Amino acid sequence: MVARAKPTPLTKLDSVTFDELLRDQAPFDASTPRIDLRGVAFVTASGLVQLAAVCFRLRACGKRPTILVENEAVRGYLVRAGFVAAIKPLADFVPPFSPSLVKNLQQRRGASDLLIELTSLSSGSELPDVLDRIIHVLVSRLSYPRNAAYDVAIAVSEMGQNTFEHCSFQKSTGLLAMQVYNKAAKGQFLEIGLADYGDGIMTTLSRNPTIAVKNDVEAIMAAAKLGVSEYNDATRGHGLHHLLETAYDHAGTVQIRSGSGKVRFRMDNQRGWGFTVAPMVGTQISLALGAKAS
Amino acid sequence: METRFDVGKGRQHLWTRQLGAETRRELEGDLARLQPGDVLVLDLSGVEVFDYSFAAELFGKLLLALPREHPGRFVLFECLTEYTRENLEKALETLGVAAIERNDGEVNLLGKVHPADRDTFRAVVDADEALTAAELTDRLNVSVTAMNERLSKLSALGVLRREPSVSPKGREQFRYRALA
Repeated sequence: MVARAKPTPLTKLDSVTFDELLRDQAPFDASTPRIDLRGVAFVTASGLVQLAAVCFRLRACGKRPTILVENEAVRGYLVRAGFVAAIKPLADFVPPFSPSLVKNLQQRRGASDLLIELTSLSSGSELPDVLDRIIHVLVSRLSYPRNAAYDVAIAVSEMGQNTFEHCSFQKSTGLLAMQVYNKAAKGQFLEIGLADYGDGIMTTLSRNPTIAVKNDVEAIMAAAKLGVSEYNDATRGHGLHHLLETAYDHAGTVQIRSGSGKVRFRMDNQRGWGFTVAPMVGTQISLALGAKAS
Repeated sequence: METRFDVGKGRQHLWTRQLGAETRRELEGDLARLQPGDVLVLDLSGVEVFDYSFAAELFGKLLLALPREHPGRFVLFECLTEYTRENLEKALETLGVAAIERNDGEVNLLGKVHPADRDTFRAVVDADEALTAAELTDRLNVSVTAMNERLSKLSALGVLRREPSVSPKGREQFRYRALA
């Protein structure tokens, strides 16, 4: 028998290490889920929305997770990014957050254009404000021409609508967050995380009898083609296709996770690479775009 | 008669299928009041961007249903920017529909339209009166069969209006008209 390697403690939570968190901590398998972020020193927008989706899904299953988080910078970010305020009704934080700190930082919601706090999307009326903020940051901070910023906003709009449109799961909503980063190696870039805890792409496509997919990776690949959707309707099935087109046009990166499949789309050869990952309901998407040369 | 419909209503950004469906419901009332030959002008003044869901829900569904539900009525786009025109073209191409745009008094087709169909549309627009397939055949130097196919396609797309008439020899025929 081969002994299973001891899980490496997480040092950051992003769209890649989220898979490790699910695999090693298996929050959906536990009767009293425990999410250990004590070694985490950095959380990205995508990591944030995916973790939020886990908490929402656990609540739907009647479970209340405990989230252990100690790093002060991460704790501050979780409050500023609206995570603590949104998740507090669903989870216990250890150590707990001071209600006055949460209240004070929540009052500053929207103050920074480099951050879009965790936003719940349950209908189209919640999208315009978020999309306007994305356009603003792309134009003013990342030197995008206005029409290029519109391309990105269109893609995010389509994905955002998917989070609440393709969902038979009761009371499931979409979750979105955005953060602009400035890293020595990569320069300035923006990451948008979108997640839901609904049916997932494979289940959604399986409602269309004309589409046959064998697994989640195949389902993601199929859904990325123009016109493929749960409906036999020419006005549907644009979202993922246009997201990828936009990412290709602007040299971005896209990662789509659904069920136990994940596809990373490489912009250099316009191809997706599929992986099998620890299962999680719904669909989670990460879009990263670099700044334009000003 | 022309009826104008302000699509943006002061909004620069038109997002979501939901907004497209609401706008289509508002527009249905105007469309229902039109008589054959009348024109509904979709005025996109001030609109800088719309997403595909909005375009598919409003423009796509409207144009797909127009020849069936409101035959003989025209829908016309005005005040598109270069960017909104490009996005509308993409949306229409995906849906396999065409639409008429009027820009500085000039009328053009948007969407996936074969150059030969575009020429036929142009010939009908440029004529002072409704034309028969035979008259267009002479003008464009193509066979009657080919011309009938083009005219059927353009009528089915709702960009030409087909009017029954009688030839000088007393035979039933159709005449084709674009915007009045």
